[in-house]
Amino acid sequence: MKLPRGQLLRSRVVADPGTTLSTALETDLTGYAVFEPRDALLLDADGQGVLTFEAGVPVLAYHTRTDAGGATALADLAVPGPYSVDLFELDATDLAEIHDTPPLRVAPGLPAERLAGDPTLADRTRDAAPADRVGGSDTAADGPDAVAAFLDDEEKITAIREQARSEARDRAQEWGLADELANLPGAVADADDDEESDNAAGE
Amino acid sequence: MVEAFAVASGKGGTGKTTSTLALGMALAEEYDVTVVDADTGLANLLFHAGLEDADVTLHDLLIEGADAAIDDATYERFGMRVVPCGTNLADFEAANPNRLRDVVASLAAETDVLLLDSPAALGSKSAVLPIVLADRIVTVLQPTIPALSDALKVGEYARSYGTGNAGVLFNKVRDEAAVERIADRTEEYFDGPTLATVPESDAVHGARDAGEPLLAHAPDSAAAAAYRDAADTLDVRAGDSTAVADRFRSAVVPDRP
Repeated sequence: MKLPRGQLLRSRVVADPGTTLSTALETDLTGYAVFEPRDALLLDADGQGVLTFEAGVPVLAYHTRTDAGGATALADLAVPGPYSVDLFELDATDLAEIHDTPPLRVAPGLPAERLAGDPTLADRTRDAAPADRVGGSDTAADGPDAVAAFLDDEEKITAIREQARSEARDRAQEWGLADELANLPGAVADADDDEESDNAAGE
Repeated sequence: MVEAFAVASGKGGTGKTTSTLALGMALAEEYDVTVVDADTGLANLLFHAGLEDADVTLHDLLIEGADAAIDDATYERFGMRVVPCGTNLADFEAANPNRLRDVVASLAAETDVLLLDSPAALGSKSAVLPIVLADRIVTVLQPTIPALSDALKVGEYARSYGTGNAGVLFNKVRDEAAVERIADRTEEYFDGPTLATVPESDAVHGARDAGEPLLAHAPDSAAAAAYRDAADTLDVRAGDSTAVADRFRSAVVPDRP
């Protein structure tokens, strides 16, 4: 997907992609957002999700690593936050050509459902969408399959869990909670960490 | 006998507080239940339990030099003991989390089931503490990809601290068939049963507006029935209350977030 460069409106880290979707909706954004999960372990370093908007309503989704579009791209992007998000404004005429790419299109409420898990925001987005974009594929029928497909992706689930476990251990050291950690099979801390935890946890 | 559960989610807006009080009320039919608003930075349980005018809250127990007694912050409501937390930011600032463990330890010594309404995010020591201290977590989530991925993260944090999984409570469900399709996988990943599938319900908003737990406000609603199913499915394990109290007392307690 080749997008003309827009004008950068804001660049920030969000815990929840819903924040960005909500901002786009409330400001009637015409342009696009580039989502990059902060955790490069879960996606390749250059893995980014791009979502375009017209008057605040999502139109296209694309994922740079998997080269997937539409609902599949949203599933590829759905990982635990935080995300770095750049929000760009772009003229509707510059978006018109690329918006005429059916395989990349997403139903208006789908990003809020899939990325934010926020049915209320999805409803608000559908309400704001032009009549000709409501209905069609934006039904519950493609929701459950996506969730099931997510859970069936063992590689991704394993990556999320391993990352969380490693983060939990790192944070425990940082917060002086290392002594509270359970001795889990396979969760062997290195000797340096153990020393630090002994020192840090003394009360 | 006591078992301490952290009611957790990993994501805001999943209905954790509603679920904590609903589960608490359902469990109170069989057990002596104490519910604590352990989300000290973003307290909201008081609004759900009609306690927004409570004179003394958990914050008063945590403020250095304050002479409030635990009993003063404990309210008998809806067949449970409820310890709300205040919403005043200055009180939150003045609170010394070191005192939390003793408060919770004292409560644990006198109840069958202790439910800790826990912070959604895991970004600070005090946010993770309820999960560290609890015996098991009850995970409240919506059947969406972001909620599941955040909840998987909470599950791994819990596991890292040796805290078990009591089960998953699907909340605000619009399509029950969708939950059925993922139940097996979820039970496998979360290492616990599906406690219930709670349908999205206007009764929940009505209960919140009325300042009553769902089971008091709309006991005949489908959502209330689902919470009673969850309480039936939850296998409360007899624990040694002294051991639980000791664990709270001895736990490393966080600095202010």
